[in-house]
Formats: sequence, structure tokens, C-alpha cells
Amino acid sequence: MKPALARLLVRLYPYAWRERYGEEFEAVLLDDAGDLRSGINLGANVIWSALCERVFPTQGGKMAQPTHSFGTMLKHPSALIPVAMSLTALALVLGHIAIYGAAREADEGATAHLWQLLMAGQLPVLAFFAIKWLPRAPKQTLGVLVVQAGAVLASMAPVFYFNL
Amino acid sequence: MQSELCDNYVMRSTRHVANDAQGPEMGHYSDPPLLVLASLASGPKHGHAMIEDIASLCGTRLGPGTLYGAIARLERVGWIEPLEQEERRRPYRITAQGLSVLRAKLSTLEQFVRAGVERLEPL
Repeated sequence: MKPALARLLVRLYPYAWRERYGEEFEAVLLDDAGDLRSGINLGANVIWSALCERVFPTQGGKMAQPTHSFGTMLKHPSALIPVAMSLTALALVLGHIAIYGAAREADEGATAHLWQLLMAGQLPVLAFFAIKWLPRAPKQTLGVLVVQAGAVLASMAPVFYFNL
Repeated sequence: MQSELCDNYVMRSTRHVANDAQGPEMGHYSDPPLLVLASLASGPKHGHAMIEDIASLCGTRLGPGTLYGAIARLERVGWIEPLEQEERRRPYRITAQGLSVLRAKLSTLEQFVRAGVERLEPL
């Protein structure tokens, strides 16, 4: 079966089912090398089974366990990138203070522009992460958002503290 | 529990998938959960290997949807368990509880077959 068609058929199943069985199920579909008639039968079988899974979802088993722990959520690029950007911004400010002191400069230098870019650039990533994951795993997503907010505050603290 | 495993949709959905070399449903046995248990009794297998094994075992070729409907329910009741994923395929193995259920079911089937054959003999 063609990968695109296999992916489409897997998407007919509910999200929780796909999270648990989607990958291995797609592998089984890709292993099928039958003729057109058996392909149509197979498609009908999957559509019917997916419909039944939506009406009578399988509960329990591995699907009862949370699929998104805080640790796995934090490993998503859209969760890690904003934290990394905030920490980089913090390191820039601290490095600037260590080298040039905490005196306010009349003209914004390259460090200030970089800091602004890092802080503003992470906002779309933050928004993407929140929009994607809040409906799926609200509790864990809120935990990650708290970590991201903490990193933002940490990078802003020296700027406001030293009035840079 | 047994009735949960024989949900109608699982039974019905194999109807058009089985290879009918002897005519429609002739000689084919279709109880997907039992077929999955019987397949895993000879060792752990992933989905595609189960389909092939079941086809060689009784001539019934389960559709992937039917197979995974049965796998999900068998896993839910603890009669099979998943093993570590090998690339994209995940093998399953039968549990001790699954083995005792399989023995009980096959024993009942054996009695049924014996009684059925005895009734056919005079005909």
C-alpha cells in the first residue's frame, strides 16, 4: 500500500488509538502488497474498524496510561526552543554586564538587539506549543508553559533590575 | 469478558477479507481474538506475521482493522502484552492468563467438534 494512503487510513482512527497503535498499524498496512480487489477489501475493513473504534472506543490497556508525561512534553522542540532562547538571552545580558558593567547605555548596542530578537522570536513558538498541546494534554502543557515563563522572567530580571 | 472479546464488529469485519477458495466462508473459522491467541501460542509475533500465521493456520486472512481491534481488546484484558518495538513493528506475546483462556476455549471447541462430528456420522 502507498504510504500516503496508509497514513490517511490511520488518521480515520481516534487520536488516543493512533497514539498507541498508529505507527505499528501503519507498518502493517504498508506490508500489504495485494491486488486491487484485496486493497479495496482492506480499505473497507480499516474504514469499518475505525468507525467502530470511534463509536465503541477501546478503553484501558496501554491507552489508559497518560501518553504525554511532563518529561516527554518538555522534549518537544516547540517546548525546548523558547526555553533555550530565553536562557541564551539571559547569558547575553549577564555576559554584557560582566564585560561592560551594569551602566545604562544611551545607544542600544548589538547585545540589546540580540536580546530583543531572542525574546520576540520565541513568542510564535510559544504560541504554537500552547495551541497544539493545551487541548491534548492541558496539565502537562501548563507545566511546560510555567517552565517557559520562568525562563522568560529570568532573562528579563537583570534587564529590569539594572535598568539596562 | 468473553462476550466483550467477540464484539460483533470484530466478527463481521472479517467477512469480506477472508480468502474464499472454497466459496463464501466455507470452512473458515473467524473468531479474531481466539485466532490471535492461537497464533501467539507459538511465540511472539508482530501484526503482519500474525496475519500470515493465522492465514496458514485456518485459511482466514484477517484484515488489519480486525486484527488490531482484537489486539486492543486482548491487551486491555491482559491476555496478550506488547514487547519492545522493533523499528516500526511491535511484537506481542501471549500472557499466562491468555494461555489458560486459550486452553479453556480450545477444550470447549474440541468437545463441540467431537459432538458435531458424531451427529454427522449417521447422515
